[in-house]
Amino acid sequence: MAPEPALRLRGITKRYGAVVACDGVDLTLERGEIHGLLGENGAGKSTLMRILLGLETQDSGAIDRDGRAVTITGPRQAAALGISMVHQHFSLVDPLAVWENVALGQSGPVRRAAVRAGVRAAAERYGLAIDPDARVGSLSAGERQRVELLKCLRRDPAVLIMDEPTSVLTRAESAELFAVLRRVVAAEHRAVVLISHKLAEITTATDRVTVIRAGRVVLRRATAATTEAELAREMVGREVTLGAAVGVLPHAPAPAAPASSQAALRLRGLTTRPGLDDLCLTVHAGEIVGLYGAEGNGQKSLGDVLSGLTVPDAGTVEVAGAPVDLRRPGALSAAGLGIVPEDRHHAGVVLDLSVAENLVMTRLGDVSGRVFVDRRRLRRRARALADEYGITAPSLDSPLRTLSGGNQQRVVLARELSGRPRVLVAAQPSRGLDVGAVEDLYARLRRCASDGIAVLVISTELEEILALTTRVATIFRGRIVGELPTAQADAERLGLLTGGAA
Amino acid sequence: MSTVAADLETILSSGIRLAAPLAFAACGEYVAERAGTLNVSVEAMMLGAAFGSIAVAGLTGSATAGLLAGVLLGALVGSVHGALSHRWHVNTFVVGLVLNALVLGLTSYLVTVGDLGRHQVAQVSVPGLRDLPVLGAPLFVERWPVYLLLALVPLTWWLVERSRWGLELRAAGENPEAADMTGIRVNLRRRQALLWCGALAGLGGAYLAVGEVGSFNQNMTAGRGYLVIAAVIFGGWRLGRTLVGCAVFGLADALRLALPALGHTVNSQLLISAPYLLALLAMLLFTTRQRRPGALAQPFRRAS
Repeated sequence: MAPEPALRLRGITKRYGAVVACDGVDLTLERGEIHGLLGENGAGKSTLMRILLGLETQDSGAIDRDGRAVTITGPRQAAALGISMVHQHFSLVDPLAVWENVALGQSGPVRRAAVRAGVRAAAERYGLAIDPDARVGSLSAGERQRVELLKCLRRDPAVLIMDEPTSVLTRAESAELFAVLRRVVAAEHRAVVLISHKLAEITTATDRVTVIRAGRVVLRRATAATTEAELAREMVGREVTLGAAVGVLPHAPAPAAPASSQAALRLRGLTTRPGLDDLCLTVHAGEIVGLYGAEGNGQKSLGDVLSGLTVPDAGTVEVAGAPVDLRRPGALSAAGLGIVPEDRHHAGVVLDLSVAENLVMTRLGDVSGRVFVDRRRLRRRARALADEYGITAPSLDSPLRTLSGGNQQRVVLARELSGRPRVLVAAQPSRGLDVGAVEDLYARLRRCASDGIAVLVISTELEEILALTTRVATIFRGRIVGELPTAQADAERLGLLTGGAA
Repeated sequence: MSTVAADLETILSSGIRLAAPLAFAACGEYVAERAGTLNVSVEAMMLGAAFGSIAVAGLTGSATAGLLAGVLLGALVGSVHGALSHRWHVNTFVVGLVLNALVLGLTSYLVTVGDLGRHQVAQVSVPGLRDLPVLGAPLFVERWPVYLLLALVPLTWWLVERSRWGLELRAAGENPEAADMTGIRVNLRRRQALLWCGALAGLGGAYLAVGEVGSFNQNMTAGRGYLVIAAVIFGGWRLGRTLVGCAVFGLADALRLALPALGHTVNSQLLISAPYLLALLAMLLFTTRQRRPGALAQPFRRAS
């Protein structure tokens, strides 16, 4: 008799009001396999996994663990059943040490020496070098992921769920992670669910793949028997032409407008402690410059400076040749710099305000009389922007929270571009977006450049840099350490330029 | 003995007695804050316990039973606060302020209902050591509950820093979402921390009544609960420094009481505000937010 699958979901359905998040999803997970779960944002992957962890309860359907029906009431019980998840947004507590975070995931008395030894042993066995006494808050994104994984593995789970594990990792770190997962699956006979919307990742790292779209399973197949193109089609529900991001085209076509010699954005000697160290960079009108580097090399500080959230300790920002007084709120925006921030939920939008309000919030003067906001003008303007940027929303009055990630990102982009900026800075613009939304975003960014806007894309994704930019600068420890035309760039060269960290 | 030494001894003596209730309560408030509750109702816990301890001592004839009742009453306030703010998610400050007003009103009324009388726990004095110059009387002639601090301070430290319970409640105070993902019952830990806080603040209040004063009078804690909160902030969320803060505030209070006896005449109403002024100054000068629990005063509800 064949052994029972580690986990079997049968007909899982979950509704939120009128929205069906999961619609009769079947998923079988065998021991010893890495199973890819692919789908756009909002396709129902997260809901499915929240049900598996007991954070949500399904409306109908059943879950079998090793052939026995189980009811999961919460993360603690999921762990007791051998289901453990490595989260996309890390479940680590920054001020605590590595060993304390690992101990948190276990039960019984806290035995410091035993936990530290356990961390060392596991680190050695899986090749995840980590200092058990380091404070988690001081670690890089890659190291944090290792801690997260160790914390999970110390619980000895039969089923390990990885939710978008590589979204903050460099290529080398991703490759290392997949090697570890392969070891976990092959040698220890665990089952791994790899949730991702990166096609290359699914095809290289998984044994079988399930694609869900709009809450339904649309494809279930051995990974070897499918292609990236097929997966992309099934995931989006139509043909996709994203270029390098789905690995179909090696390079994006160069933008139509040639780079002019006028410097639209010039950063001179920007220094923040910690973060930036004498960073200098120039972006000309009509070009898309990529700032590439592993997470945690100062990108976030740069984003904060260019959003006006941080005043640098030294250095200047010039827009169109004129220095900007960074201590004055709104000065950057007034000077003609638009920004799509890295973390749009914290710095880009107000989730509980309406779509319309978010669209006009930075330019309220345009839709106001002397004292009051003119609701009718506000709505007219918002409607125009929503149409122009293809924003799909139940209504302009619904809270922004109800929109998909792609549409939220379009709201930010529409708002920033509505001010007719000379410079557009986009930090990790495709993070959290699905393939269709990324395709649309790239087209819009390219159009910005051909309209003569200087575009700076801050990204940790090599594919994004190669697909989108005309010139790439690499950042390492807060400094620009290399610059070259994207046409001459490839993974190896950029890897070397990012201090070997890529 | 010279008069300077005698004065010093007097001030030290009353300083320790005035610092002790703060120290008990601070051990509680420290735990509550590490778990993420900026617990304002510590004042209500102390005042309610002060009243309850005298009342129960009167009913039972035992000051020790009164002390115990104070602990239980403080814990009761803590559990009410916990249920309101970490089960039904009412704003923690509103809950705290309402509880403070409620307990103040209730005890002010009850104290007029009948004569509560005088009840006081026994004094101990350590032979030999009590005869040490200057420090002898302040440290070794005390109402016995003071010496509970010797056990409760290390216990509090151990619970927070070394036990699983403490690790989980620190996680709940720093990053409740991460703690929840890990399988920790965040709001339960916070309620438990408030229970501990209530018990210790109750002990502090009861000590003030049946330990030091021997009776209850209206609003006898007079804002000491707020001083405790100030001490935790002054201490930068470290237990040791928090207790230093309590000692400083206690000594300032003692100095205020001693000044007239030393021949200085200062407006007494102005003097009463001195410890609070000092607390403000201390917080202004010495506070670092570095060790502030990441989710202090933020309610936790699982996002849907």
